Amino acid sequence: MKMKTYLILCVIVAAVVASSVLFIPGVGDHMEQELLGFLSTNARG
Amino acid sequence: MKRLLTLVLQLIGLLLLVPAVAIATLRYDTSRNDGPSTLFPGGELVAGELYRGPEPDWQFTNTVGTIELQISDPLSSRLVWILESEGKIYIACGYMGTTLGRLWKHWAVHADEGDGHAVIRINGVRYERQLVRIESGPALDGIAAKMASKYRSPTSRADIEAGNTWIFELAPPTTASGD
Repeated sequence: MKMKTYLILCVIVAAVVASSVLFIPGVGDHMEQELLGFLSTNARG
Repeated sequence: MKRLLTLVLQLIGLLLLVPAVAIATLRYDTSRNDGPSTLFPGGELVAGELYRGPEPDWQFTNTVGTIELQISDPLSSRLVWILESEGKIYIACGYMGTTLGRLWKHWAVHADEGDGHAVIRINGVRYERQLVRIESGPALDGIAAKMASKYRSPTSRADIEAGNTWIFELAPPTTASGD
């Protein structure tokens, strides 16, 4: 993949992820719960 | 071969980008909320009655795991432990003996260096308080004992006096204005 195409893809992916977290109800909460679970599991380990 | 390596690296970059953007967005989103989330600092505490009256009997906080703490400079809020000892309430901030810890818990540095004005929210009620750092003294024995009994924390008075854990009293606002 050419660098220019790759960078455009990165911008699009970042925009989609950020919009999903901000505007789709429950996505942010779900991600935070997953992150919390990951951190607490690894902190115990 | 080089093209394949480039493609693999680009894929790894994309896979790292997704959680990085998600975490940054979550942090930004939470910073505008009324109060913190479990992981990220929040904004100004707005909801809830602002308590005005005599100093409460803080023993009710013995059954409260965490409270929301808002400091004014910079305006942000976070979840912290609450410790009641001899009728006064305190909060603890660990990992302060290391540079990384001070970066992570930079709010405590701001609270120590700033005016110390704070608002806490417990069970939906907001209380104006003044953060006063306690660096030494016999009160630390009771605070360390409460940390051990309530949170099973191994923090000792020596840890606190060495600066590894910072303790702030949540004093009434008038006390801390120098009266």
